[in-house]
Amino acid sequence: MINLLSATIMMGTPLLFGALAEVIAERTGMMVTAIEGIFLMGAWAGFVGGYLSGSLMVGFLSAMLAGLLVASLYGWICIYLKQHQVVTGVAINLLIVGLCSFLYRVIFGVPITPLTVNPLTTIPIPLLSEIPLLGPILFNQTILTYIIYVLAPLSYFMLYKTSIGLTIRSAGENPEAVDVAGINVLKVRFLTVLLAGVMGGVAGAFYSIGFLGMFTTNIIGGRGWIAFAICFLGNWNPKGAVIGTLAFGFAEAIAIYMQSIGNSALFPNELFIALPYIMTIVLTVSRKSFSVPAKLGVPYLKEN
Amino acid sequence: MQAKLRDLLITNILAIVLGIAASGLMLLFLGKNPLNAYSVLITSVVRDGYTFADIFVKATPLMFTALAFAFTYKANLYNIGAQGQFYIGAVIAAAGSLLLQNILPGWLVLIITLLLTIVGGGLWGAFVGFVKARYNSNEFLVSMMSTYVALAIMNYSLRTFLMETKAEYPQTDALAASVWLPRIIPGTRLHIGFVLAVLACVGVWILLYKTTLGYRIRAVGYNAGAAEMSGINAKKLYILAFFISGALAGVAGFTEVNGVQHMLVQGFNPDLGAAGIGIAILANGNPIGIIFAAILFGALKVGGTIMGQMSGIPSSIIELMQGFVMVFVILSYFVRTWLENNREKRKLQRAVAK
Repeated sequence: MINLLSATIMMGTPLLFGALAEVIAERTGMMVTAIEGIFLMGAWAGFVGGYLSGSLMVGFLSAMLAGLLVASLYGWICIYLKQHQVVTGVAINLLIVGLCSFLYRVIFGVPITPLTVNPLTTIPIPLLSEIPLLGPILFNQTILTYIIYVLAPLSYFMLYKTSIGLTIRSAGENPEAVDVAGINVLKVRFLTVLLAGVMGGVAGAFYSIGFLGMFTTNIIGGRGWIAFAICFLGNWNPKGAVIGTLAFGFAEAIAIYMQSIGNSALFPNELFIALPYIMTIVLTVSRKSFSVPAKLGVPYLKEN
Repeated sequence: MQAKLRDLLITNILAIVLGIAASGLMLLFLGKNPLNAYSVLITSVVRDGYTFADIFVKATPLMFTALAFAFTYKANLYNIGAQGQFYIGAVIAAAGSLLLQNILPGWLVLIITLLLTIVGGGLWGAFVGFVKARYNSNEFLVSMMSTYVALAIMNYSLRTFLMETKAEYPQTDALAASVWLPRIIPGTRLHIGFVLAVLACVGVWILLYKTTLGYRIRAVGYNAGAAEMSGINAKKLYILAFFISGALAGVAGFTEVNGVQHMLVQGFNPDLGAAGIGIAILANGNPIGIIFAAILFGALKVGGTIMGQMSGIPSSIIELMQGFVMVFVILSYFVRTWLENNREKRKLQRAVAK
């Protein structure tokens, strides 16, 4: 049971990175539908950087840069050229799948055995990790998890207690007012999308160099969309995102656990693999009230 | 109107050329000459009829998934779950054919299977419309998630009741030749499903532009609130639009299983849904335009496969070409709006000058 909960926290980490990124960007009115592509590009760049340099640090930095690049393409098309967010996201995601597998081939050729790096190891925090029950669950994790412990409350504080947060939220609710106040709406949106790109890149790299230690083109397998879903279900609020992430992280931990013990006759493996997706559908149906940002998905057009 | 159509053709052709050129430049990374690769490509596509006909074989399912996206798009709904509806259709087509092929005559099995895939894919899609209408769920998110559930269902059935008798790989037994879709041109893989797809495109065009139902769907898409005011039941239309959309994508499963693969293999055609969206936006959502746009994407697929067989070029060049073309097509939308605005501006300036 402790293993399962500890795995929940671990598998939840990248989801929360993605979900927080999505919360911040969507608050300005920008759905980051390229999130799946950003995750994949991050996983790819993280692996390439980590493998070639031998340093996971370099891997994560390249993942951030790669996420930033994808996000800037997406942001440019959707914010400055005012094209449709869903359609643009689908196009970019498809392009990234092709790009990642093509460039992997360019760099590594066709390796006979899959290339691997040593993934992140867990760092037990002295004293805290010795607390019974909670210690091994919360404080024997990788560095990324500790970063997210700080980032989650920080993003809540930023969104609700600072003037930056007010600007971000207003850009999605009433962009005209932000404009009148002399703040460039497009720039606010673009910057949050870039931030989402960096965070999404890290989240993607978790799967390649933080967990598996290798790269395949189906490594993300819809996790970007799950982060996207968590943002919706968490009601565009970092608090909700944390709760949603724990639920999805638990579902994923169960799926991994079930696969490791082999097929059971009663519940097929596929049921557990599909569980997070079924959960999303059930939750969207069961939640009654949403506080959707008023201008979510709507490009900002200035009069004149 | 004339100028608009001209813009549409020129910018789209430009987008396609740029997309192909961009992926050609990627070949330089592999030390391949893109001009060389493309000339080999063109000659081998045109050289033999089998390869040429394959373009239309590949275009067939793409027309269905593109229609699936375009149809709900007209109601301002986003069905990005065509991939899942296709998988459901494929599972039903394989299961139905295998079950009935020894009991009933082939032509009857084909008709029954087609109807089953329409109902199955349709219901799978209608579920998305239902939760949208009943619970105001986000249809974009639910349709996306339903794809992964459909994938799990396909994998499960291929591991259990649909698995081949040898029980070696996750695939079904081959279908009996009596339940294959008849070939149109002997010696090629081109089957009657292509005709079905073209008819579906024409049918959807008539449905959208020449019937009251189509008018209502477009009215809801244009302004749901106003449509409700004028007595159109938007919620009912959401469900119906998603049923038709899902049914169209489901039929793609039928034409692929009974027309091309003659069996169901795990994880086949994983990019039909995304490519369908690309085709729909290339065609500007017009069902007749989808016929041509799908043939173009079919050509990209066949071309990419041939290039993938050349030494040293990976088959991911197909996704690369599709992705680049899609991104450039989206950019062409921007260019068209820009051209249109400039024209309006000039018109106004002329009017003022007078």
